[in-house]
Amino acid sequence: MNDADLQRELVSLPIKYLHKFAKGRIHRHFRLSKRRLIDSILALPSEQKMAIAHEVEQISTSPKKSPATSGNPKSSSPFYPKRSSPKKLSKSAPPSSAIGLQDLLEGIGVPEPKPFIPDDWQKEAVEAIAHSDVIVSAPTGSGKTFVATEAIQQAMARNQTVIYTSPLKALSNTKYMEFSQFFGKDQVGILTGDRRDNSQAPLLIMTTEILRNILYDATSGDLDLRLHTLGLVILDESQYLADPERGVVWEETLILCPTQTRLLLLSASIGNPQELAEWLTAIRPTTSCHLIRHTKRSVPLRALYLHPSGQLVPLLENRDIQQQKGYRFHPETKRLFNEYEFKPYR
Amino acid sequence: MPPAIHPIDLVDILRQHRLTPAIIFLTSRRGCDEAIDTFIHSTAGVSASRSEEIRTFLEKFSKEFPSIANHPLIPVVQDYGVAAHHAGHLPSWKIAIEELMRQGLLDAVFATTTLAAGVDFPARTVVVSQSSVRKSQDFADLTVSEIQQLAGRGGRRGKDFVGFVVVTPSPYIDLHVLGKGLTGQPEPIDSQFVVSFPMVLNLLKAHALDQIEGLLAKSFAQFQLNQRAAIHQDRLGELQEQLKPYGPRECADWVAQWKVFDLARRRKAHRRPVVNTDSPYLTACLPFLTAGRLIGLAKGPAIILRQYRSRGTGTPMLSVLHAKGTLGECQAQRVVEIYDQVHEFQPIRNLPWCPPRTLHQFKNILSQLPVRPPTLPILEASQEPDDPLLSNILTEEFACPTCPSHEACKKDVAVASRLQLKAQQATKTIQALRDGLWHQFQRKADVLHKFGYLTATLQLTDTGEWGRLIRINHSLLITELIRMEAFSGIAPELLAGVMASIAHDDDRPSSYMRLTPGLATMLAQVRQVADSLRAYEPTPLLRSDVAAIAERWIGQTELSWASLVRSTSMAEGDVYRLLARTLEFLSQIYGLKATHPGLADTAHQAMVNMRREVLAELP
Ligand SMILES: Nc1ncnc2c1ncn2[C@@H]1O[C@H](COP(=O)(O)OP(=O)(O)O)[C@@H](O)[C@H]1O
Repeated sequence: MNDADLQRELVSLPIKYLHKFAKGRIHRHFRLSKRRLIDSILALPSEQKMAIAHEVEQISTSPKKSPATSGNPKSSSPFYPKRSSPKKLSKSAPPSSAIGLQDLLEGIGVPEPKPFIPDDWQKEAVEAIAHSDVIVSAPTGSGKTFVATEAIQQAMARNQTVIYTSPLKALSNTKYMEFSQFFGKDQVGILTGDRRDNSQAPLLIMTTEILRNILYDATSGDLDLRLHTLGLVILDESQYLADPERGVVWEETLILCPTQTRLLLLSASIGNPQELAEWLTAIRPTTSCHLIRHTKRSVPLRALYLHPSGQLVPLLENRDIQQQKGYRFHPETKRLFNEYEFKPYR
Repeated sequence: MPPAIHPIDLVDILRQHRLTPAIIFLTSRRGCDEAIDTFIHSTAGVSASRSEEIRTFLEKFSKEFPSIANHPLIPVVQDYGVAAHHAGHLPSWKIAIEELMRQGLLDAVFATTTLAAGVDFPARTVVVSQSSVRKSQDFADLTVSEIQQLAGRGGRRGKDFVGFVVVTPSPYIDLHVLGKGLTGQPEPIDSQFVVSFPMVLNLLKAHALDQIEGLLAKSFAQFQLNQRAAIHQDRLGELQEQLKPYGPRECADWVAQWKVFDLARRRKAHRRPVVNTDSPYLTACLPFLTAGRLIGLAKGPAIILRQYRSRGTGTPMLSVLHAKGTLGECQAQRVVEIYDQVHEFQPIRNLPWCPPRTLHQFKNILSQLPVRPPTLPILEASQEPDDPLLSNILTEEFACPTCPSHEACKKDVAVASRLQLKAQQATKTIQALRDGLWHQFQRKADVLHKFGYLTATLQLTDTGEWGRLIRINHSLLITELIRMEAFSGIAPELLAGVMASIAHDDDRPSSYMRLTPGLATMLAQVRQVADSLRAYEPTPLLRSDVAAIAERWIGQTELSWASLVRSTSMAEGDVYRLLARTLEFLSQIYGLKATHPGLADTAHQAMVNMRREVLAELP
C-alpha cells in the first residue's frame, strides 16, 4: 500500500480508528483533527506506516466494516454524491437545557427603513479626521464607507484633492461606480496603469501600487499630478499591509505621503490596530494618529450547525456570537458532529 | 473537499428556514461549478416573477458589459436563483452576480474563499464547510482574521435584523478551528517589508544616502524590529548584571584567557591543526545556533539540542528535535531560518541531550508554533577577527597553571562563558534588528552598482535613471533585457508574449498552445538571461503557453474573445487576469518613452491592441 492508497483508506475510516493507530505513535493525537491525524500518520517513518497499513487492511476485510469504507469512495461521482431520496427535515431538536433552534431563528427579517443616524464611532472618526490621521478598525459591513464619504466631502469643501486606494482593481471599479453615483460623475476619476479617466477630478481612485508610483515620481520631481493640493489619502482594506507580497507597497506609500496630507486607514478587524496607530504617530511628527476601534457587529451574528442529514441545530451554547468570550459547542452539535466524524456520510 | 450535504438539500434547507440569501463558501472553483450543475433539471427553481426580474437585470447589465450576454451560466441563474462566483469568471460576470445579490434576487452564491478578501458582497447567511485552505502547496488552518472575514459577510446592515453562520461538515473539517475563529481575537498584523531594486533606485533618485537610512527607519518593519530589540536590550541588561561577579581577575578577560589555555592544552594532546572553512555567513550564524534555539529546516521547524563539530571534517553540526518529534542530526549550514526564540534547558551529555521532561515540553512547543514566528536577521561581519589571541598565543606559555585565581577560574569558567555567550548573542541580535533593513538596502545597492545602475558613490547612472521607472516584479530581468536590446525592432505581439510570460506567476496548468518560431526563440533568450540573474532575483515561471495566448490576442486583432478562450483550457477569468497583468507590465515599458521611444511605441501599440472586447470594458 503506497502513501496515496493509505491516505485514501484513512480518509474513508471513522476517526476513532485513526486515533487507535495514532496511539503511542503520535504525540497528543487526541487533540488532532482528522486531517491533521492523517497528515501525521503519513509523516511517520515507513515501518510504522506499514504496520498501520496492515491494520487498515485487517479492518477493511473484517465483516464489521462500515458501509463507508467499501470500495473506492471517490470512484463514481467526482465531487458530489448522488442525492439520496429527498431527506425529511427533523423540525424540532430534542429538549436540552441549552438554547433551542427556535430561539436562534427568532427575529429573522427585514427592518423598516430608518433615517440614517451615524453611530458614535462614525461621528468620532469624522470629527477626528478634520485634525489628525485616523485608523478605523471595524468588522466588515459596519459602515466604514460613511466615514470615507464624509471625510471626502470635508476635503472637497476645502478644495483639496482626495486619493482613495483599494488593493484590487475589482474593488476600485466598484468604488468608482459607487462614488460616481454619490458625488456625481464629474467629481470622480480613476487611474490605472494605462488609463486616466477624468484625472482632473477632485476624487481619484486607484490601486495602492499606482499611488506609490505617483509618490515616487513626485519626490523625484517628474509628475503632472497636483500633489500640493492633496488633502486626504484613504487606504481601504489597510490590513493588506500584512500581505506577504504586496504589503511593502502600503508601507512605502505611508512613508512617502506628504506631511500636509491627512491619512484615513480603513481596515477590517485586526489584532493590533493600536500598534499601527503608534507607528503612524511616531513617523508623522506633525500629526497624531487617532485610532477608532469598533469591535461590536452592527447586525448580531448567530451560528448554526447543519448536519448532513438535514438537521439544523445551534452551533454554540450562546445565542449571539460573542467576541473574545470563548465558545462552547451546543450539546446537539457535539453529538451530531461526533456521529459524523465516526461515520462519515458519503 | 465538498460538504457532505448535497447542494440542493443545502439550499432547500436554507430557503425553508428563511436563511437566504446565502453565500456558500467552498474550497475549490470546481466545487462551486459542480454545485451549480447539480441544480440543472432539478425542481429547486425560483418563482416565475423572480426569474423574470433576474432576466431583466441581466439583459440591461449586458448592454453595458456585452461580455456576459451569452454567458453559459445565465439559464441556471435565472431558473434557480443560484450562482457561482470565483476567480475563474470574468470581472464583468462577477460584478453582475454581486449586483444581483445586492438586489436580493439570488438565494445562494457558491463562492471560493478568495471572495472574502475584498469584494463588497454581503448576505443574510454565510455557509462554511471547511476549516482550512490551500496555501501554496499545503493546507493551512483558516486564521481567526480569515474566518471573521468570511463570517462577517453574514447579516446586512439595514436589510437584516440578524445574520447567520451555518457550519456544515465536509471531510477534514475541524470544528474547533471555526469555534475559535468565530469568537477569538484576530491576529496582529506584521510588517512584510522587503527592499526591492526599484525601491533602492527610486529612493536614491530623490534622497541623499543618510536621508534614506532615516526613511527606512520610518517603516513599520523597523518599528516592530525596534520593539523586539528593546526586549533583547532588557535581557542584555539582566545578563550584564549576572556577569558582575565574574569581572576582571588576575587578567582582565580571564574567561577568554582560560578558554585559550584550555584549548592549547587539548591541542597539544591531539596535535590536530584546525582549519576554519566555514563561510562568513555560517560564521555569523553559529553564535545563534545554540541549544534551545528554534530554527527552520527545509522540512519544517526544529529546536536545537546541541551544537558540535563533526569529528572528521570539522563541519559545524546540530542535534535537533524535529517538529514531528524525532531526534536528528544536521549540518549547521542546512538551517534555513533562525527564529527569535530560545528555550532554556539543562543540557545533558548524551542522547537525547536533554531531560525527558524538556523533550516533552519541546514537542509541545513545536506542535503549537505560530504560522510565522519572527526571524532573526543575521548580519555578516566584514571580517571577524575571530579570537585574535588564538593564533598568537597558542605557542606561548600560560600563566594559568600557577595563577592564584586558577581554582576560581576553573570553577567559574562554565557559568561565566555561558553568560558571556548569551550576552554576545543579545548584542548581536540587537545590532541585527536595528541595522537589518539598512544592510538589506546596501546589499541591493551593491548589486545595482555591479550591474551599472548606480555609480560607486550610489548616484543613479543614465541606465539607473530610466531603470527606476520599471517598478514591477522581475524589474531587473526586464531592464537587463532592454539594455541588451533584446527587444529592438520587436513586433508588439512578441513583446506582449514575453511580458505575459514574465508577469504570470500562477502555475495552474493550462493547455499547450503552439508558439510561433519568433516567440520561441525570444523566450529561450529570456530564459537564459533570467537564469543568469538567478542569484539576484527570483526567476519567473516564463510559461510559454501564456506567452502564446498574449501573442495571439495582440497579434490577431480580428480574433474574438470567445475563440481565444476556446483555444486554451485556462479559465476565462484567468485569461483575463493574465492579459490585464500583461497590460500593467506593458504600460511600465510605455513609461520609458523619453529614453526608449521606439520600444515605448511598440508597447503602446500592444496596449491598444489589447484593449478590445472584454478587455475594454473596465478601466
Ligand atoms: N449608522 C448607520 N446606520 C444605518 N446603516 C448604516 C450606518 N452606517 C452604515 N450603514 C449601512 O451599512 C452598510 C454597510 O456599510 P459599509 O460602509 O459598506 O461597510 P464596511 O465598509 O465597513 O464594510 C451599508 O449599506 C450602509 O448604508
